[in-house]
Amino acid sequence: MSARPFHLGWFYSKGFGPKAWKHQWAGPKSAVARFTKPDTAVELARAMERACFDYFMIEDSSNVPYTYQGSHHAYLRHSVDTPKLDPTVLAPYLIAATEKLGIVVTCSTTEYHPFMLARKMNTLDHVSEGRIGWNVVTGSNDGGAQNYGRDKQYPHDERYDRADEFLEVAHGLWAGWEPDALVLDLEKGVFADGDKVHPLHHEGRYYRSRGPLSAPRSPQGSPVICQAGGSARGQAFAGRWAETIIASASTPERMKAYRDNVRATAAAHGRDPDQIKILFLVSPTVDETRERAEDRYRRSLEIDDNEVEYQLASLSRQSGIDFSQFPMDEPLPDTLVSNGHQSMVAQWQGRVLADVIRGNPLNSGSNAFVGTADDVAAHMDEVMQEVGGDGFLLVNSYFSRRYVTEVCDGLVPELQRRGLTRTAYEHDHLRDNLMAF
Amino acid sequence: MSANPFHLAWFGAGGFGVKSWNKTWSGRGGRDWASPQLWVDIAQALERARFDYIIIEDSSYVPDAYGSNSKAYLSSATATPKMDPTVLAPIMSHLTSRIGIVPTLSVTEYHPYMLARKINTLDHMSNGRTGWNIVTSSSHRAAQNYGKDLLEEHDLRYDIADEFFDVSCRLWESWDADAVTLDADHGVWADYEKVHTIDFEGKFFKVRGPLNAPQSPQGRPVFTQAGGSARGKQFAARTANSVISGVEGGPAAMKRFRDDIRAQATGYGRDPDDVKVLFMASPVVGETDEEAQAKRARQVAFAEAHPELGLLHLSRHSGIDFAQFPLDEPIPDTAKTNGHQQMLAQAIGKTPREFLRKSLSTMEFVGSPDTVAAKMEEVMAEVGGDGFLIANFDLNRRYVSEIADGLVPALQRRGLTRTEYTHSRFRDNLLEF
Ligand SMILES: Cc1cc2nc3c(=O)[nH]c(=O)nc-3n(C[C@H](O)[C@H](O)[C@H](O)COP(=O)(O)O)c2cc1C
Ligand SMILES: Cc1cc2nc3c(=O)[nH]c(=O)nc-3n(C[C@H](O)[C@H](O)[C@H](O)COP(=O)(O)O)c2cc1C
Repeated sequence: MSARPFHLGWFYSKGFGPKAWKHQWAGPKSAVARFTKPDTAVELARAMERACFDYFMIEDSSNVPYTYQGSHHAYLRHSVDTPKLDPTVLAPYLIAATEKLGIVVTCSTTEYHPFMLARKMNTLDHVSEGRIGWNVVTGSNDGGAQNYGRDKQYPHDERYDRADEFLEVAHGLWAGWEPDALVLDLEKGVFADGDKVHPLHHEGRYYRSRGPLSAPRSPQGSPVICQAGGSARGQAFAGRWAETIIASASTPERMKAYRDNVRATAAAHGRDPDQIKILFLVSPTVDETRERAEDRYRRSLEIDDNEVEYQLASLSRQSGIDFSQFPMDEPLPDTLVSNGHQSMVAQWQGRVLADVIRGNPLNSGSNAFVGTADDVAAHMDEVMQEVGGDGFLLVNSYFSRRYVTEVCDGLVPELQRRGLTRTAYEHDHLRDNLMAF
Repeated sequence: MSANPFHLAWFGAGGFGVKSWNKTWSGRGGRDWASPQLWVDIAQALERARFDYIIIEDSSYVPDAYGSNSKAYLSSATATPKMDPTVLAPIMSHLTSRIGIVPTLSVTEYHPYMLARKINTLDHMSNGRTGWNIVTSSSHRAAQNYGKDLLEEHDLRYDIADEFFDVSCRLWESWDADAVTLDADHGVWADYEKVHTIDFEGKFFKVRGPLNAPQSPQGRPVFTQAGGSARGKQFAARTANSVISGVEGGPAAMKRFRDDIRAQATGYGRDPDDVKVLFMASPVVGETDEEAQAKRARQVAFAEAHPELGLLHLSRHSGIDFAQFPLDEPIPDTAKTNGHQQMLAQAIGKTPREFLRKSLSTMEFVGSPDTVAAKMEEVMAEVGGDGFLIANFDLNRRYVSEIADGLVPALQRRGLTRTEYTHSRFRDNLLEF
């Protein structure tokens, strides 16, 4: 491999729900109608394993949104982030279909009790033989909280205070069985040693849990912690706990600044910054010739009225702000704030709404990766050299099978030829593969 | 089939944890217990034998009732470890096609929205083969893992269960069955007028809804329930599609139990034939009657030589620490428990060994496959229905094969159990006869 190989992940955005459906390459309607089945996710996982990706990250949120125009109408009409089935039920299917790929599941600290979450992750890690990660989210939409008995989400920073304690409890539970607690003495009939299994007796500000967990330490001990906090408080949380961070930034300079900041925070927590792998969202357009790729890219930026409503509904959900109240061609107020995704909303202040919708930061300017496999691989190499690491998180908003093979069978082989990504898994566990370089 | 065919189901006692691990037919059970493979093999064998369903038992704590510490439970792998059944269920669904898969989930551990969502996803992915074994939990230790001092009081737990059940059903039905239109030409994915908030505000739960996924193939999962107390039976009669019972006292007591459940179900305006009562049984089958009896005698001798193994279970279920009483002295009437009062009352005056022996002498189905099949037919004729829930506490693949490939063909020859699945959905098969 080259001096600086990097990592690859895939962000299964829109979670376990419909992907492309009215769009090109969506497939026959009979296949589209199977969105409640594991088909596409399983195929993606197999393709990713073929291409030696580090991990498959399943996004999640747990309500039918109704922020835009105060109604769930637009969300259901366009299938904007709804429906989403439960990712912890999908994960076992992906585990069964693969052998080496990491599977990262999104679960919210404001929906689970730490004991239940710790138990599920422990079981998933056992069953996957050490390939599980947890994307820690705190919930951002009031509608999610309302399904769980509350009127609204806790205030933004308090959510992270709770999440800090949640992680303390979960790690305490994961450490409750010592690594050698299992004796397995068949002759004497001793399965486990009670002296090596410890209750936690956690009594904190937000949580209580006695412990121990009802199952032994799992292969990795704890799942790989994945996080995406963008706000100052979110980054502080990530600096303390995260082993991999998924981030979106619009230019290599911003990517570098973000990465440097997280690494500094981690060092301040006494951690080795190399133990945090930051993966940046990208959505490359790869085709046979540069012209074809550029043409495709241009067409992907043309958006019709349906798409405008789709984007407005999506922004509204993520921010908790009803964007139907703002005119399309005027700057957004400077006072715009969110109890949801704060960092995202801060970037929109003062910008014209129509531009916010068109300029997908993931996929514009220096972050538009467009061209042949060779072009895109070279561009990715260049950006990574500038940023310093640690890799990319692929995403495709109208996910189609064609796109998967373009990336896994076209782009990745080119990255591998350049020595930029791995050609074989060195280890069995997700964490070991992630930390291998 | 005979005039009165009955149902078969399997109780995965001990949950997703260690099964047989240091006995003759354990195989690699001690090492491979965390792999789903044994469960997949069992489910496939039971599907071959046309079982209605398999329950994955669960509880979420390391017991320490016996001897007031967890040592004996951990060293014998009794009721611990147990991993999460919702992780196992998808793998079993994935590798089978007809049998019903029933994880156990507790209403005092889950929030209704989370539970309804997981079950809905499971039902989608299994093509309508998911059930929910509704339990309320029975140990303070589980409650303490979830942040409570003590478990809620017994009858209150069923009040919670009643409301939990109602909220969940409303969530499962919050999308009309035809809400998803997938109209690509007009860009209409779903019809928003067919998706409804539930705005539930009860005594215990508050849920806005709707669920964030469409109605699943069965809508509601198949409900199984095991309440044995008056309040538990009342809950089961109102909600369950299949009541599972460990009632003692032979066919007469079984018949009383079933009649009672059916009468109460009628009282709730339900068709009693929609509630299938299945009775626990652990048949011991061998090539000949003599061989089966010898096998049973060896099992009893083993249990009597290791009374502590039985007392571990009794202590965990009752909350009574049986380690405090000498094995052969009567339990004094000054003994106390903050757990199961009724069970303690039954134990007082007996020695722990006597009490244990009584718990071992349940309904016995011992003999060649043909003998056991005849006995099962006889019992069912007397009870009136609806079938058996097979369980074996030292579970290994050989036992599964003895039942699925030995006993069941004998039952099928007599026309007592199904030879094919008629329907693709679990509930339809369960209610077929
Ligand atoms: C790549 C990426 C993936 C994310 N995935 C999820 C998700 O699956 N579920 C969710 O609730 N939030 C998700 N988020 C939101 C983050 O958890 C977080 O709330 C957001 O980045 C705002 O940061 P902040 O909480 O520090 O303000 C994601 C964010 C990013 C950048
Ligand atoms: C066949 C059977 C299976 C059971 N499975 C479980 C289980 O998996 N988890 C659990 O917590 N309780 C289980 N129980 C206990 C019951 O849910 C219930 O608490 C018990 O039968 C006592 O009844 P009561 O609650 O009406 O007093 C089971 C009971 C029986 C008879």
